[in-house]
Amino acid sequence: MGSVVYTQPDGTVRELEAEAGQSVMQLATKNGVRGILAQCGGTLSCATCHVYVDETDLADCGPLADFEDDMLDTTAADRLDCSRLSCQVKVGEGQTIRVTIPPTQL
Amino acid sequence: MSDSLTEYPFDLRPAPEAVAHQQRIAVDRPLTRVAMQYGDEAWAIHRYGVAQQVLTDPRFVRGPFARRERTVPAAFEFPEFLLDTLQFADGDEHKKLRRLVQVAISPRRVQALRERTAEIANELIDDMIAKGDTANLAEDYATPLPIRVLSEFIGVPVEDQPKFILWATTVLSLDTPEDEVLATGMELYSYLLDLIAARREDPREDLLSSLANARDKDDTLTDAEIMPIAMILLVAGFDNTAGFLAAGVSALLRNGDQRERLLEDLDGRIAPAVEEILRHAMFEVGSPMAGGMGTVAMVATEDVDLDGVLVKAGEAVYVDPASVNHDPAAFKDSQIFDILREDSPQMMLSYGIHSCLGAPLARMEMQVGIAELFRRLPTLRLNGEIVRNMHVLTIPVTDLPVAW
Ligand code: FES
Repeated sequence: MGSVVYTQPDGTVRELEAEAGQSVMQLATKNGVRGILAQCGGTLSCATCHVYVDETDLADCGPLADFEDDMLDTTAADRLDCSRLSCQVKVGEGQTIRVTIPPTQL
Repeated sequence: MSDSLTEYPFDLRPAPEAVAHQQRIAVDRPLTRVAMQYGDEAWAIHRYGVAQQVLTDPRFVRGPFARRERTVPAAFEFPEFLLDTLQFADGDEHKKLRRLVQVAISPRRVQALRERTAEIANELIDDMIAKGDTANLAEDYATPLPIRVLSEFIGVPVEDQPKFILWATTVLSLDTPEDEVLATGMELYSYLLDLIAARREDPREDLLSSLANARDKDDTLTDAEIMPIAMILLVAGFDNTAGFLAAGVSALLRNGDQRERLLEDLDGRIAPAVEEILRHAMFEVGSPMAGGMGTVAMVATEDVDLDGVLVKAGEAVYVDPASVNHDPAAFKDSQIFDILREDSPQMMLSYGIHSCLGAPLARMEMQVGIAELFRRLPTLRLNGEIVRNMHVLTIPVTDLPVAW
């Protein structure tokens, strides 16, 4: 088990338990976390699952997936150094990943 | 086993009954085997989870249709030119093309058009106000808005826009004679070809420029790849967005409590409201609904178990969005129109690698279109019955009489 802490743009915080290997996007859409659209279902072709990862957890998220870099340039909210597409970030055993949801996905 | 309470497909009936029917089916079974007008029998998917699984599972493909080995199972004869588009490609080839195109219709690019969309919306509202205190919202607002936004998005120069809009509306209009549609379609086609050539030479910040110059290592998109994308955007982008806009406004006007909730925080609530409109609002416009619509089918490449039902290799499946969007297992009280619903990951624009290419644009237009309308005309009310053309596949809204 691991967990993800989602912070909404208005500051609302929600923590959810994740199965190991589940993506930050899957966990969010399964539990109705607002602000992660994920229209393409994790196939890296929509850029509507953008999140800002807490600096301290970035290393836990693994490297950018092939093409994720290009897709991150197309997100609606500004790309920051801590930007990731949440469908590409898998939660590892025992990890807690803290993310902030951007003000908009489109 | 299906009985009269869960028969599928089913004919027009009052919307609340149609929703209850969809809910019962999803509880009863994940799929129904349906005889189609064209092509073989196909499985219609009713459950949200199954739809999600199929739409992201590479074992379901469309290649057999693209290669003309199979006829697309559908209620109508599938237009030939669409079989050569992205929608029917599979695997890595598709992924590569899709991503190139998606970058051109990206959230970022759409975001850049938001302000301009609000300006266009306000110009249309100004025109309506100048004419009096009533309007046919379908004709005066919901239809022209997507057409104007799309022509800007594509990159049609301002001076050509009237001509372009006239062509596009003629091609899409319901009562234009067939030969006129064909002739206009040809003009539109060659105009777009010229524009693509011009943008390849001298790129600007617009869709055709990025498509014309899209590159993945040594590949560029050819005219033959770009044209169907542009044409699909035209066809899908007008009618459907106009229909959703009209349905959304109508649903809000019929559900005063929801409209109040929206007006309390227009900018903060418009995004979830649009998701709920996409999920459910067609059931809130006051006209009867039938059950049996579906997305383009896919073929199983091997035997796959879907929620206990065995779909055999070679069999076709499709998703009924109205069904899965009312699956009680995915949406609590799915019959209720609730603009602040937490669980609204609706599938009206499909899902997965083949999900609607124009989705970011459609969503933005709906958000801006509905928000600006209620901002300027907070006293908007229905002034007659909504009329939909049941004889056309997209069931477009032709009349939406309003007053303010
Ligand atoms: S879900 Fe589409 S890119 Fe992540």
